Amino acid sequence: MSATTTAGGRVREFVSAAADGWTRERFGVLGALGLILLAFGPSFQVYLFTDFLVVALFALGFNLLYGYTGLLSFGHGLFYAGGAYGVAIVLRDLGPVFADIVGSGISPLLTFVVGGVVGLALVVGVAVPVGWLSVRLEEIYFALITLAFGMLGYSLIIQDPAGLTNGTDGIIVLLGSVDIGGSSFRIGARRTYYALSVVVVLAATYGAWRVVNSPFGTVCKAIRESPDRASALGIDVRHHRWMTFILSAAIVGIAGVLRAGLAGVASPGLTHWSTSAIAVIATVIGGATYFSGPIVGAFVFLYIRWAISRFPTLEAYWELFFGALLIAVVLYFKQGTVGGLLLLRDRLLGDDGDGGETDAGGDGEAPDGDGDSGGAGATVPDDETRTDRGDDS
Amino acid sequence: MSLPSLVPLIGVADVVIGLSLGSRLFLIAVGLSLIFGVLGVLNFAHGGFYMLGAYVTLAVVTGLIDNFWIAAVAGALAVGVVGATIEFAAIRPLYDRVDADLDQLIVTFGFVLVIHEAVRFIWGSGSYSIDPPDVFNFSVSLGGSTFSAYRLVVIGLAIAVLAGLWLFITRTYFGSLVRGTSSDREMASMLGVDVPRLYTGVFFLGSVLAGLGGALSAPLQSTSPALGDQVIIDAFIVVVIGGLGSMSGAFVGAMLIGMMQSLGPQFISAGSIAIPFLAMVIVLLFRPEGLFGGIGE
Amino acid sequence: MVAGSPDNENKRNRNRDIDAGSESRSPVGRRRFLQAAGAGATVALAGCSGGGGDDVVRLGATYILSGFASLYGEAAERGIEMAQAEINDNGGIDGRDVEVIVRDTEASADTAIQQMRSLVEEDNVHGLFGLDSSGVAQAVAPQAAQLEMPFMITHAATPFVTSPEGEHEDSVGNDYVFRDSNNLTQDIYGAARTAAELDATEWATIGPDYAFGYETWDYFQDFCAGLGVDAEFTAEQFPPLETGDYTPYISSILDAEPDAVLTPLWGADLTTFIGQAEDAGWFDQIDHTLFSVGMGTDLASDGNPLPEGEYASTRYDPFAPDTEANNAFRDAYYEEYDALPTYNAEGAYRAVYLYKEAIESSGSTETSALVDEFTGMEHSGPVGDYRFSETNQATVSSIWGTVTYDDEWESNVLDPVNVYDAGPDVLSEALGDSDLPAGI
Repeated sequence: MSATTTAGGRVREFVSAAADGWTRERFGVLGALGLILLAFGPSFQVYLFTDFLVVALFALGFNLLYGYTGLLSFGHGLFYAGGAYGVAIVLRDLGPVFADIVGSGISPLLTFVVGGVVGLALVVGVAVPVGWLSVRLEEIYFALITLAFGMLGYSLIIQDPAGLTNGTDGIIVLLGSVDIGGSSFRIGARRTYYALSVVVVLAATYGAWRVVNSPFGTVCKAIRESPDRASALGIDVRHHRWMTFILSAAIVGIAGVLRAGLAGVASPGLTHWSTSAIAVIATVIGGATYFSGPIVGAFVFLYIRWAISRFPTLEAYWELFFGALLIAVVLYFKQGTVGGLLLLRDRLLGDDGDGGETDAGGDGEAPDGDGDSGGAGATVPDDETRTDRGDDS
Repeated sequence: MSLPSLVPLIGVADVVIGLSLGSRLFLIAVGLSLIFGVLGVLNFAHGGFYMLGAYVTLAVVTGLIDNFWIAAVAGALAVGVVGATIEFAAIRPLYDRVDADLDQLIVTFGFVLVIHEAVRFIWGSGSYSIDPPDVFNFSVSLGGSTFSAYRLVVIGLAIAVLAGLWLFITRTYFGSLVRGTSSDREMASMLGVDVPRLYTGVFFLGSVLAGLGGALSAPLQSTSPALGDQVIIDAFIVVVIGGLGSMSGAFVGAMLIGMMQSLGPQFISAGSIAIPFLAMVIVLLFRPEGLFGGIGE
Repeated sequence: MVAGSPDNENKRNRNRDIDAGSESRSPVGRRRFLQAAGAGATVALAGCSGGGGDDVVRLGATYILSGFASLYGEAAERGIEMAQAEINDNGGIDGRDVEVIVRDTEASADTAIQQMRSLVEEDNVHGLFGLDSSGVAQAVAPQAAQLEMPFMITHAATPFVTSPEGEHEDSVGNDYVFRDSNNLTQDIYGAARTAAELDATEWATIGPDYAFGYETWDYFQDFCAGLGVDAEFTAEQFPPLETGDYTPYISSILDAEPDAVLTPLWGADLTTFIGQAEDAGWFDQIDHTLFSVGMGTDLASDGNPLPEGEYASTRYDPFAPDTEANNAFRDAYYEEYDALPTYNAEGAYRAVYLYKEAIESSGSTETSALVDEFTGMEHSGPVGDYRFSETNQATVSSIWGTVTYDDEWESNVLDPVNVYDAGPDVLSEALGDSDLPAGI
């Protein structure tokens, strides 16, 4: 096997693709450059962007379930908190233990990694039974049972029967400094943590993207379009939803691990329904039917919020803006921001839209995997059933 | 730290308090349940309606007419108008969507945010409290414990509302339309029922009940912008336990949760806030139609 | 009655019961000296800040401006406004105007940390102060060290932020975090001293369900043990913050029939509690209720004042000490806002002056210079004379008194008031063999 040749060939292919017009490869290169350049930006902007990455991953995980199987969860904060508390507890209780075993130089990093794995394992461990039970229900009832599970988790974290979560105050997360061979760096330092978040979020996003575009993902989409039809075709709808639930929770759990380190605290508010609602807001604003919807939605959510916060008179009422936006999007433009961007692009490029383009995708993300939104006018071809309003009564 | 174990004593006051908390929950839950039963809409903003009812009542009492009962009626009606407007403008366009349920849930959640901020904008983020109406502003001592007489009034009014609703739904023409439409909308529509108008009417009624709940509770609790978010979750628990769409279920569920809130602090030091959610999960899994029958009265 | 001395007809000369001879200091000397030093620094600074263009001193403050305790943030804003106006009308800080940016923590650690980062990195503040909640302070303290920015806490009372890291498993004290107001240990020491005077053996508590509520109760029990107070602790209730209806918790406490109750409820929660406790006959059935720092809510709130005859504490009293500085501050505040100053207003007011003094004395707004100045600083303000202890805690007193309505000020006041000296030695002795840190 000539792996090197293949790799070399791929590289050449990639380079030529990137050089050859506004292809996905070129967007990829520009995106990567942007991410690297941002690391040298003003400290607060780095922080804000890291925050965006984490919220984007949270919403993306949530949308695997909502966008791809049609189940709206109001309890994904449970998994967000699960990841955060997993890493926080390990850092607090096992940090000194690891320091004894491997020496204090490397132990903060090791503890963080182990904490992340423990957080993820905890989330999956919770998601398996919670998902199994929840996917027995649909629609409103699914939203209600996930809300109940989330609030059950909230109650348990607050009341802390096992003495692990430190009640209402939450657990302080201190990431510590790593010393290896004379050089030392702080894991929580702004740019270090940014780099770490970029790598983790990109990897998790890529993983999710692969799943969505696998045969499994195709089945999920069939379920979303019509659970009855899918089940008539012999698909085990409930099993697929359960698996998606676990995957979705795991992605949210990873976001939770990153959240703990970024915020410096794992607090019970993470599992409150109002936190779960952030994923709903970001996803709906971005466009639930697109893979990139929650990412764009998180961007809109955080940056508009930040912009509002620069005006002290408006700051107190930022929720009003998002409430109104949410209502407007659901009522008038279910495709959300990504749908809007695609529409705008098609308008700007005119007829060019059908032929020349590769896969559509506002910013380098593929919409939904299956559909090339080729056909003129049909911006959201795979979404008719979800946006069709039928006759007005 | 451990405390010497206390023998829990259920006093008269504990029961009265539990029932008054339950009555308050009933007024919000029954509207929520009614709207769901007839329209199929789970109104996330119902807690916001309840809060709005309390605020309008406070504003009228302190600013316009110093009569609690007039203010309470004004509060309830104002919320009814807000509710009907929301139904007409933002929920009605969604009935025919494929996933109408979830879209409506998300839209009403949008109104949770809007109402919350609107209340903060108008009344600020502090909290308010008022005294019960003068006639009932005294304490009752029974069996060694003391409680405000007004609590008995709230319990009485909740029972009256339950009875009134029952008569309304079972004995009036409008009630029969509501029942017919909730069991088969298409059929009702074919028989000439103006379904959209009926829906707005039911939404108005449900909103009035939430507003009334808020108005009547204003003397019992402090009213702050956080109120809506707290109470909606309790209301969800109640309607799930009682059965979405069931009015008697809402009553029994509300009283159960009310008693649990009243006695919880004495019996269970840990876990008392977790139990209602656990109950909600169990009911959803094993009896999603609720403990007290399915859709109906 | 506590140390009942009857000659307290005039609130300006109220009964002060200062324990243990307070160290005699000469506040004047140091201040005068510092002002002189500051003048020298102005000249030096004028030379080097010419090209800088940054001719204001910018401070960032984080308080609760929304929700159940927004009245605390509002009081702090008043104190800040006063200090800012006074300083800027009198030549500023070394000739530079002081500007204070106030942000809302929403009583949440997440939000507070975000606001801090934004203040430091976006608004480039020279120093931080504020915080109303113990839970938030606990999470914020390590962040101040990571941001390398001095943080003057003006209200949040948890002892663990002025207990050096390692002293106790919860300790998060570090070089950057200071506190100019009295902390929970100092305040609860006063509660135990008050309890010692009362004819009550069975004690209960109803406190908010977070660090502050639990710490209050833990310290109270340990101080009672350390001071030899004959007390049994028979009931405890910790309702969540922003509970709308306290009645079930009230009735649970009443069922336990304690003689006295210590309650650290605060903000709108306290107002709600008092109204509902009155309805339930609380103040008839329970002999004594001690409202720890109750005056912070009482003075600022318009509903349900503390019942007369019960006991309350404050971190600062508008009438004690009876000094020129305090009287002038109180009168100016009353003139401006038509209310007596709360401790939160005073704490925030003093924080701005602390920064002024540190900046003028070091001639710099550099973090390291400010931290050096604050460390061990002696200072004087409306609250009296104090210094920062080894753990960066102000050695201010514990102030407890009997709630009394005063016609002249149309407000509740503490009368008689007892001022207990609460320095490091007093507290560590009173804690006896407790394993809780003194936080000073």
